[in-house]
Amino acid sequence: MDYLNKSLFEIKELLESGKISSVELTKMCLEQIKHTQNINALISVCEDFALKTAKRVDEDRKNGKKLGALAGIPIVIKDNINLKGTKTTCASKFLENFVSPYTATCAQKLIDADAVIIGKANMDEFAMGSSNENSAFGAALNPKNTMCVPGGSSGGSAASVSAYQCFGALGTDTGGSIREPASFCGVVGLKPTYGRVSRYGVVAFASSLDQVGTLTRSVKDSAIMLEVISGQDKNDMTSSAEKVPNFSNIKSDIKGLKIGIAKEFFNENLNEEVKKSLDDAISFYKKNGAELVDISLPSLDKALAVYYIISSAEAASNLARFDGVRYGVRAQKFSDINDLYFKSRSQGFGGEVKRRIMLGNYVLSSGYFDAFYRKAKKAQKVLKQEFSAAFSKCDVIISPTTANVAFKIGEKSSDPLSMYLTDIFTVPINIVGVPAMSIPCGKNKDGLPIGMQLIAKQWNEEMLFRFGEIFEKNHKEAKNV
Amino acid sequence: MPKISIDEVKKLAKLSRLEFSQEELQKFTSDFEGILNYVDLINKVNTQNVDLKEKAIDAEEDLRADIITKSLSQDEIIANAPLSEDGAFVVPTTVEEGGQ
Amino acid sequence: MYKVVIGLEVHSELKTETKCFCSCENKFGGEPNTRCCPVCTAMPGALPVLNKKAVEYAIKAGLSVGCRINEYSVFERKNYFYPDLAKAYQISQLEYPLCVGGHVDIEVDGKKKTIRLDRIHLEEDAGKLIHSPNGTMVDYNRAGVPLIEIVSMPDIESAEEAVLYLQKLRATLLYLGVSDCKMQEGSLRCDVNLSLHKEGEPFGTRTEMKNLNSFRAVYRAIKYEAKRQEEELEAGREIVQETRRWDDNAGKSYSMRSKEDAQDYRYFPDPDIVPIIVRKDYIEKIQKDLPKLAYQRAEEYVKNLGLTEQDALLLTNEKYVSDYFDQVIKEFNEPKFVCNWILGEVFKKLNTLDNEEIEILISPKNMAKLLKLYHAQTIGQNVARKLLDELWGTDDDPEIIVKEKGLAQNNDAKGLEEIIKNIMQNNQKAVEELKNGNQKTMAFFVGQAMKATSGKANPKLVNEIVQKLIK
Repeated sequence: MDYLNKSLFEIKELLESGKISSVELTKMCLEQIKHTQNINALISVCEDFALKTAKRVDEDRKNGKKLGALAGIPIVIKDNINLKGTKTTCASKFLENFVSPYTATCAQKLIDADAVIIGKANMDEFAMGSSNENSAFGAALNPKNTMCVPGGSSGGSAASVSAYQCFGALGTDTGGSIREPASFCGVVGLKPTYGRVSRYGVVAFASSLDQVGTLTRSVKDSAIMLEVISGQDKNDMTSSAEKVPNFSNIKSDIKGLKIGIAKEFFNENLNEEVKKSLDDAISFYKKNGAELVDISLPSLDKALAVYYIISSAEAASNLARFDGVRYGVRAQKFSDINDLYFKSRSQGFGGEVKRRIMLGNYVLSSGYFDAFYRKAKKAQKVLKQEFSAAFSKCDVIISPTTANVAFKIGEKSSDPLSMYLTDIFTVPINIVGVPAMSIPCGKNKDGLPIGMQLIAKQWNEEMLFRFGEIFEKNHKEAKNV
Repeated sequence: MPKISIDEVKKLAKLSRLEFSQEELQKFTSDFEGILNYVDLINKVNTQNVDLKEKAIDAEEDLRADIITKSLSQDEIIANAPLSEDGAFVVPTTVEEGGQ
Repeated sequence: MYKVVIGLEVHSELKTETKCFCSCENKFGGEPNTRCCPVCTAMPGALPVLNKKAVEYAIKAGLSVGCRINEYSVFERKNYFYPDLAKAYQISQLEYPLCVGGHVDIEVDGKKKTIRLDRIHLEEDAGKLIHSPNGTMVDYNRAGVPLIEIVSMPDIESAEEAVLYLQKLRATLLYLGVSDCKMQEGSLRCDVNLSLHKEGEPFGTRTEMKNLNSFRAVYRAIKYEAKRQEEELEAGREIVQETRRWDDNAGKSYSMRSKEDAQDYRYFPDPDIVPIIVRKDYIEKIQKDLPKLAYQRAEEYVKNLGLTEQDALLLTNEKYVSDYFDQVIKEFNEPKFVCNWILGEVFKKLNTLDNEEIEILISPKNMAKLLKLYHAQTIGQNVARKLLDELWGTDDDPEIIVKEKGLAQNNDAKGLEEIIKNIMQNNQKAVEELKNGNQKTMAFFVGQAMKATSGKANPKLVNEIVQKLIK
């Protein structure tokens, strides 16, 4: 029996029924990681920690102890999530040797749910990128086609799940960093509502947009994991007191629910095959009883501009702490403290990170602040209002996750703007702060996965699971991925 | 269309504590121009009458209670330090210049 | 002929249990980096969480000087690189500070003068740099300690006024109990903005002075800077807008940086800290619980204890004096007597100590005992003064000391009368003089009586007996 290709939910049942032990399963995953090393999905493998946890969980299970929702299940976390005693590199040379002295709340919640954290996933440096090519430890590859990028920045997380190295992964999503790689690698990627999951211990890129989410092989898996990692955290003021529903109990019908379609998401840049998959999905929903509603999001095409201003401003400030004083790279030679800063930072950061820091400091600097930062914050409010108006007419909004399927490695790496444009459909969601999920909805003629994005109101992830699962269970394309 | 000079880029680099070669500076300047040109799109959003105040929490109800929690040891704090001595981080001699 | 215009920025560390944005202990000193966590050492991924008490203390300070409390308050990041600033930004406030407006009233040449305030905002302190032969050591124990910054309007016109303003502000913060205000420990710090201009002309270019660690330093630095600027202007030179560092040992200030290299702090709202709403009823609650301030205590001393207004003001200038007075009169309810003694003898003693943060080093209980002995004439004034010196810094019980050392006064009227009769018999001439009204001779008899009793005779009693005997 092949265990590795099971979903998290399926393997959970097999573990609970004693068909397989966690140690056996963990070993299989470790074996698979070795087997699929070429995709470079992980920066570090926590072999000892994983086996120790698995062994403990097996014993507890044998002794009839009550176990958590993820008991014994191998999970990967993105390498910008602190796990005490392990390296947290953020795929940056700057943090190459940084060993976390503490554990992020979301990782702790996995541990408390008895999950087996098996490795830390490759990513774009400090989560800045859409292809995973900006990693100091080499690009991760798309398991569906190793000539292609897995997407980014949570490319390693998506690739790891897609390559059956684990049963689910945590990623972070600031502008599409979970949904875009999920779409490229043919897995389910969820960005929860901003404030749903604590950011404490997750290395910040853009604090007001960052959100931890899941990459899984099924919608239900995503719901199970979200239930575990959600909730208010006293260590994160931006985490919400909003009640955490029983996400994994997914309602099965969508009759009478309204699905919003905004023409702004279906513009001329959309790839034909992607468009066809989306049209299929829309007719599927209609056939299953959902009502289609036309909505309008007039400022949608400005969201990416808003995003680059706000996210870079916050990043410039967030990444200032990487100064070579307390941890990370310190240059070998320097003349004084400022020179130490200049050299350490220049040596430690990659090009994209530098570019964003520069852009961020530009939009924050005196003389430009009002024209860029403040204007962008105002435009953000306008976008929020437009989404809120749209959601008064529908329960979910459907869109493509990306305009195209996974692109070739190196294809966009020389032109930052074309890379940024990859995120044009995912970025607005972070700007508005609502939850969204990318679900596989087909393949192109080369067999590369196509993803659709479902977007719901604030705190309404349940609606995403509902629309996602019915599609996943009944739509033939979804099963083929 | 916003323009940016190489001198401005140099100034930004200084503010960012980043060093670039002449070649990199050239590339940055042209990349920058493209990006700035793109983000200029925000000016197409009508933001008249937009109030920037954000959702707020209550100062009496929602803030952290003033109770001490023991956190990391000195060893843990300095464990990743590139250079430390007697529990302190060490940097090249630094006097006022540049401070607050 | 030049008018001096001064604005002060006062930083005061708040006496909360924990730091402003993490739960590490807020305490002075200690081994380096022993009161630190991921937040205050800016580990990757750490997030600030605002301390309620710090907000409350800042509001308290604001209310006590008549500020308006902003209903909506925002924390911003002030970005700059410096090794004592772990995150490379300081969390502070700019657009929406907690408190705006307000004023501090001082008395200049017997007249009330109002120094207006611009704002009071809450921010965090930086770590400490300690210089050693091997470089600069960085200690983040102080990093993240809550500070309020009290920014005055440019209403101060002299070094004297600046010091009066600081004393008043310091006393207020001490009365509130929100800060220790210890200048040597840096829990009260002050920056001076100063410019000169001629009557009727607009304000001149200002300079900012930093590193002023005592009231004396503030006073001297202002005198120095006013003179320096005057000399520059007189020589026909322009004042350069710059930041200057005061060197107290040299009695000089030096240019640190000019406006041209002024930093661009790139303030923006901290996305990790949700803005806060301070509701009216919360403000009212804090207002209601404000401790009595100096002027309120002074009023009560006049009304309830019958002290003169002058004495009441002197007694309440410093909180620790007023607190001390309150404790002594709890043990010994003779307010006027205690007040006279404190304003006279204790102040004399305190004035001999060259220190701004002084304490009265006798417990109120022992002081009450001492004053009871004095009041009852068990000991005389000289002995009382001597005892004040002797007991200072000890826990010794004055009653026991007086007994052990036999310091009690001789109040034995019969015995003294015998002694005085004896003196009179041997000094008939003096008796005659006294009878003729030469009161100076009285001192002679008192002196002789003292001599005969090894200084223990109650002089008042001796006086009475002599007067009686010559009638």
